[in-house]
Amino acid sequence: MSKILPSYREQLPQVAERFARLKSREVLLEVKQLGKQFGATTALENINFITHRRELLCIVGPSGCGKSTLVRILAGLENQSSGEVLLDGRPVRGPGRDRGMVFQGYTLFPWLTVKKNVMFGLEINRKGGLESEREALQWLQLIGLEKFADAYPHQLSGGMKQRVAIARALANQPRILLMDEPFGALDAQTRARMQAHLLEIWRKIDITIVFITHDLDEAIFLADRIMVLKAHPGAVQELIEVPVPRPRSIGQFLSDEFLATKARLEELIYAAPGDVEEAYPAVARLTQVGDDVE
Amino acid sequence: MRAPLSRRQKRGLTALSFLLPLLAWCLISYVPALWHPQMQIIDPGSVDYFQPGMRVDRATFDAELAEATAASHAVPTGRPANPIYLPAPDEVARAFYTAFTTRPETRDGVWLHQSLWHSIQVIFWGFVISSVFGVPIGILCGSSDLFARLVEPFVEFFRYLPAPAFGALMVAILGIYDGPKIAIIVIGTFFQQVLVISNTTRKLDFALVEAAQTLGTRGIKLLTRVIIPGILPDLYRDQRILLGWAWTYLIVAELIGTTTGITWFITQQARYQHFANVFAAIFMIGILGLGTDLLLALAGKRLFPWDRPRAKS
Repeated sequence: MSKILPSYREQLPQVAERFARLKSREVLLEVKQLGKQFGATTALENINFITHRRELLCIVGPSGCGKSTLVRILAGLENQSSGEVLLDGRPVRGPGRDRGMVFQGYTLFPWLTVKKNVMFGLEINRKGGLESEREALQWLQLIGLEKFADAYPHQLSGGMKQRVAIARALANQPRILLMDEPFGALDAQTRARMQAHLLEIWRKIDITIVFITHDLDEAIFLADRIMVLKAHPGAVQELIEVPVPRPRSIGQFLSDEFLATKARLEELIYAAPGDVEEAYPAVARLTQVGDDVE
Repeated sequence: MRAPLSRRQKRGLTALSFLLPLLAWCLISYVPALWHPQMQIIDPGSVDYFQPGMRVDRATFDAELAEATAASHAVPTGRPANPIYLPAPDEVARAFYTAFTTRPETRDGVWLHQSLWHSIQVIFWGFVISSVFGVPIGILCGSSDLFARLVEPFVEFFRYLPAPAFGALMVAILGIYDGPKIAIIVIGTFFQQVLVISNTTRKLDFALVEAAQTLGTRGIKLLTRVIIPGILPDLYRDQRILLGWAWTYLIVAELIGTTTGITWFITQQARYQHFANVFAAIFMIGILGLGTDLLLALAGKRLFPWDRPRAKS
């Protein structure tokens, strides 16, 4: 019944050529031997990876693997215990406008209108009011929410809020956009639309994206490469080059490359050593004999 | 139990919450069978110490009545009455008007509206002085753990000291006029204010601060551009509650040194046993307090148009 899938390592010529092009771009972010301790527990251990400019890197892993911690360290919101994060070759210290971030929870400033939210970073960094307003409107146009420029965040749906959050981060012209499960709180349909939307934005502007998710389909749909972490302690298991050609579309969800990649990811995440599900404790049988559901 | 009420139901219940106590008051005042522990003398009859208009206990009246009847003297007559300290609603309602039109009893006395205005000024300055220090210190405590550790333990201790206890001390320091009164209101409000506002500041979603940091915000701008605007609607609500707090210290504060303001009016009227005026003045404070709060609530809705959806989430 089940089809023999090609290996997730096999790439079509056009995909291989794309990866060659990607790797020829300069290295934007470099993480070297990064470690993080919380007291006695090791949250992250010896994390090494690089991203090239305009790459879209997804990070997946079981819960508790420290993927959020990793991205918070990249953003400078937390300090690493060891190792280094280099952006354009310079070590990162503390939060800064060169690394934009979109959070899982809604973090638009509720007291500012949509437009003022997008202008926030620009004004903080001393751009004139007129200029930042013009830029903000351009960003709102890009995300298709120019009609909502004067609305307050509480008047927007969840998906719209996250779109504005993306625009707010991008308006500041960061080198890299960090996204910590930004669509995690959205319903399935909205999420699918947001993914397509994000790819559209990413295609149009010069931005590198590091995207955290626990949704494997989302990771394959979006990513150039997927970094798979394992838990206890958080460490890199494998860095997968996604063989699904671009441009991506919903139709590819059932393609061989997609399924092969997903099979590999599931293998890594659900069968990871040390993460075996505990045996169920014996429970009293409260059904009748012969009434099995399977 | 939690089914939402319609607009009309809400209005009806609000009205009822005022009407019910009023109804109870009316019943006690106008139904002679209810309470009325005294008799107001109409005709003293043969009882030599009775006078028309005088109130005596029912037992005394009954005893004198029985005695007079037994001796076939002229019997006293009277009608059931409540003690003088419980005037009927209509008397208090009338006093509302007459209190403003009654000349001061003494030549150097002041009119009611002057007393009220004096009280409002004392409250105002007490609250302003408390807020000028309390609000910034509260916000600093809420945003910096270091500052909170330094300030809050002492404030926690001090807020248990009853403000009126400082009355004599304040008179010694600030004299007998408005100084010590304002000081009592400041002492009563300030320490609560610091704690309440630092708590409100702490409740701000920290993710907003982090989001601002990733947008390049740092230092003092985090405070002025994120924390303060973020807590503003809650801060405003806190200030409304604290203003009510300040009002409750008013009467005690005004008794210190030379009695002034509405308290002076109340004590004067009580001395002359004009209890209808006393009630009118007390209600006036209530109406002023509630009215101010309602106005501020209304203004708040205008000031913070984004502060609507909290009930939903």
